[in-house]
Amino acid sequence: MNNNRYNKSASILSKEDKKRRKREIIISVVIVAVVALLTFIENRIIHFGADIPVSNTILMFILININLLLLILLIFLVFRNLVKLLYDRKRKVMGTKLRTRLVVAFIALSLLPTIVLFFFSINFITTSIEFWFKVPVEQALENSLDVGRSVYRHSEENSRFFMERISYQITSKHLLDPKNIKALSRYIEIVQREFNFNAVEIYADNAARITFALASELEDKPLDVISADNLQKRMPPKGVRTISERIPSGELVRIIGTVPFGSTSANARAFIVLAKLIPPDLVKKMSSISRGVEEYQQIKLLKKPIQATYYITLSIVALLVVFCSVWFGFYLAKTITIPIKVLAEGIRRVKEGDLSVNIAMVADDEIGSLVDSFNKMTRDLRIGRDQLELSARLLGEQNVEIEKRRQYMEIVLKNVSAGVITLDAGGFISTINKSAEKMLNLNPENILQKSYKTLLSGQLLELSEEVINNLRTSRNNAAELPLKLTIDGRPMSFIMHVNALKDDTGKHMGMVMVFDDLTELEKAQRMVAWREVARRIAHEVKNPLTPISLSAQRLKRKYSEQVKEPVFDECTQTITDHVELIRNLVDEFSAFARFPTADPKPCELPPIIEETLALYKEGNPQIHFDFHVTEDIPPLKLDRQQIKQAMINLVDNAIGSIRNEGCITISLSHDPILKIVRVEVADDGVGISDEGKTRLFEPYFSTKKAGMGLGLTIVSTIIADHDGMIRVQDNKPKGAKFVIELPAQSKNSGKQGV
Amino acid sequence: MAIIFCFYSLAFAKKAVLSNIIVTNTRDDLLVYMNVEGAFTPKMKKAILSGVPATFSFFISFYQVRNFWFDYKIRDVKVTNTIKYNNLKEEFVVTRSWEKSGPQVTQSFDEAQKLMTEIDSLKIVPLKQLEKGRHYQLRAKAELSKVTLPFYLHYVLFFVSLWDFETDLYTVDFIY
Repeated sequence: MNNNRYNKSASILSKEDKKRRKREIIISVVIVAVVALLTFIENRIIHFGADIPVSNTILMFILININLLLLILLIFLVFRNLVKLLYDRKRKVMGTKLRTRLVVAFIALSLLPTIVLFFFSINFITTSIEFWFKVPVEQALENSLDVGRSVYRHSEENSRFFMERISYQITSKHLLDPKNIKALSRYIEIVQREFNFNAVEIYADNAARITFALASELEDKPLDVISADNLQKRMPPKGVRTISERIPSGELVRIIGTVPFGSTSANARAFIVLAKLIPPDLVKKMSSISRGVEEYQQIKLLKKPIQATYYITLSIVALLVVFCSVWFGFYLAKTITIPIKVLAEGIRRVKEGDLSVNIAMVADDEIGSLVDSFNKMTRDLRIGRDQLELSARLLGEQNVEIEKRRQYMEIVLKNVSAGVITLDAGGFISTINKSAEKMLNLNPENILQKSYKTLLSGQLLELSEEVINNLRTSRNNAAELPLKLTIDGRPMSFIMHVNALKDDTGKHMGMVMVFDDLTELEKAQRMVAWREVARRIAHEVKNPLTPISLSAQRLKRKYSEQVKEPVFDECTQTITDHVELIRNLVDEFSAFARFPTADPKPCELPPIIEETLALYKEGNPQIHFDFHVTEDIPPLKLDRQQIKQAMINLVDNAIGSIRNEGCITISLSHDPILKIVRVEVADDGVGISDEGKTRLFEPYFSTKKAGMGLGLTIVSTIIADHDGMIRVQDNKPKGAKFVIELPAQSKNSGKQGV
Repeated sequence: MAIIFCFYSLAFAKKAVLSNIIVTNTRDDLLVYMNVEGAFTPKMKKAILSGVPATFSFFISFYQVRNFWFDYKIRDVKVTNTIKYNNLKEEFVVTRSWEKSGPQVTQSFDEAQKLMTEIDSLKIVPLKQLEKGRHYQLRAKAELSKVTLPFYLHYVLFFVSLWDFETDLYTVDFIY
């Protein structure tokens, strides 16, 4: 089991690891792809081709990539937050509305000025750059340069003019001949002076300087010899070539020509060099112009890259500003909404009953004080709830105690033989115990929480109201009264104790009724009393009967013939008959008084009933006798004679109740659960009134004209002696039904007993 | 980084090359001749005419090849050709570091270009330093030195440059 669990957790971990690795791989691939894409785009946009130095290129790519990656990261974060915000908003998460508003406000606040500033700056830069490269400036510079160039050009052209003449003179006068060297020197001195050159030099075709003449400005300065290479260089078509060199007193421009003029360097017989000194100031100014034009040209060359750089920089800055402001908006929204969210979460938890919530947040603003108040509130609530819980626990303990007592009382009430019914102050029945239910044959559901006024009617209602009023009004809290009721056709006799319940202040709380079933007790007492009466009557009445009878017989015998009055005979006969009747009655009394106690022995009940029925079947053809018996009737311990007597009495009574034709049904059944054998003697005769039912088993109660009314009393006595029970009820639809229940032994025990 | 270099090499696919590398000798010295081709672009010409000086550097190393061991470097030569246009005089001044005669001035751009791209009879080592029958190797490459923009703009436009090239390293093997 443990192994399994371990494996499971291990597999979960590995799954997480896999997930993480997968994510890392995806991120790496994305970054590489982004870098590649960026490089490609950069390369395309800023196509420098082969013009960019390697080191600069690498640095540039690294820097741009880093910048763009950071920018992309910022964009990713911002968009992630935006998506999260939208998702939260859809889910209606607490605080999203506020966050949305703040972010929108920040975007709006930052976007507008940024866009305006961006386009303004772009425009400004474009205009400025365009202004720098305005045509007039370029034109002016070009003109200046032309002026500078014209100085050299003029000098060269001027020199060329003189060069041609000098060359002609030298050639025509054969001044190159070695013998004319002096003449040549003189000639070039004159030339130098007349044509106002700063220097005039003559070089031989082997590049050796033959002679030269210098102006006074150069006299104290050495004049370098022009190298053979320089002289031998190819001569341009115009016939002169210019070289220049810087000397302390300015720039010396030396124009080289050939003799004869216009010949190639190789064919030249000699070289003439005319030098003009350009003053330092002019040189300086011209170099300044030259430098200015150069710089202008170079800047012009960089116009587009500069513009692009500014645009890119501005765009990046603008984007940064926008995204930073969005980010800051998110941050600010977070700082505001998170405490609110935490607070809302706390409130939700408190609502769900968790009072241990304590929001740990240190803030010195209004939300901070709100959090403090919330914490204080939850603390107070917690303390209150603890106290409440303590009270509830104590109350619970008390309730348990009370419940225990109540259960104890219920058990007592349930097991007490007396019936107990309680009523509340309003007269509604609040409790009824089992004994009461059984005695009164009531279903508690039908009477509980119902007023006695609705449950009772007639005399009983009047009686109960009288009793209740008495109890309420009088000082006496208790009342006792006998009560006779017929329940399910059975007469019952109760002694009822009614006690008013009052609290300490004397306020009426209801009443409790305790009643005992005195039916059997009364019956027994009555029986004892009647037996005593019967014994005395038998004793006292029987004694004078014999003399009366004998006297009547003597009177008849002695005076009948003498008197010969039929009246006399009738009278004596009547006396004798009635004495005999009285004797019979007395005998019956005597029999009742001296009724022997039962001597039960195991015997079968069905034959006894059959024998009884056999006695009557012949004599009562108009009555139909039915006898139903189940097969499982166990043998009973019975006094056969007495039981037969009882059955005879019951059948006799039943026959008596049937006027003309009828049916008498005797059913014999066994109830193995209650362990009783039930004999039901039902007739469809006149039936018995409710009053009659209550007194039916009393001696001398009879609905018949003849008879002492001892028959059912004897039956009752016999059944009681057999530990049984007899009751009378109405036979549906008409007539009466006597039910005898005799205790049964199980078949086995009965057999054993036999 | 690999990708950056990959794109970089793609970007400079149209490269300058060294051609006509000839190693020869006089009675006393070992000489080398070479040309750079494809170094001058219209853009570069424009920049030169705008007065931007350009310098070609030639790196020439001379090794004695050894089996199973690092080659022995006998000589390391760096020579430069620099061109500067004088707009006032409308002439190109080409300074070749390996020539003692000083800068050469020409008014023809073609000539200046020729002067810039050629290395003629450059002395590498005296022959007496070489051994007969040994294996030697000459390695050469040319590149354009970094051009500095005016007004310190290279600090601002750090990724903007007028041109650039660098040839592959060429080798010439021979047995003396």
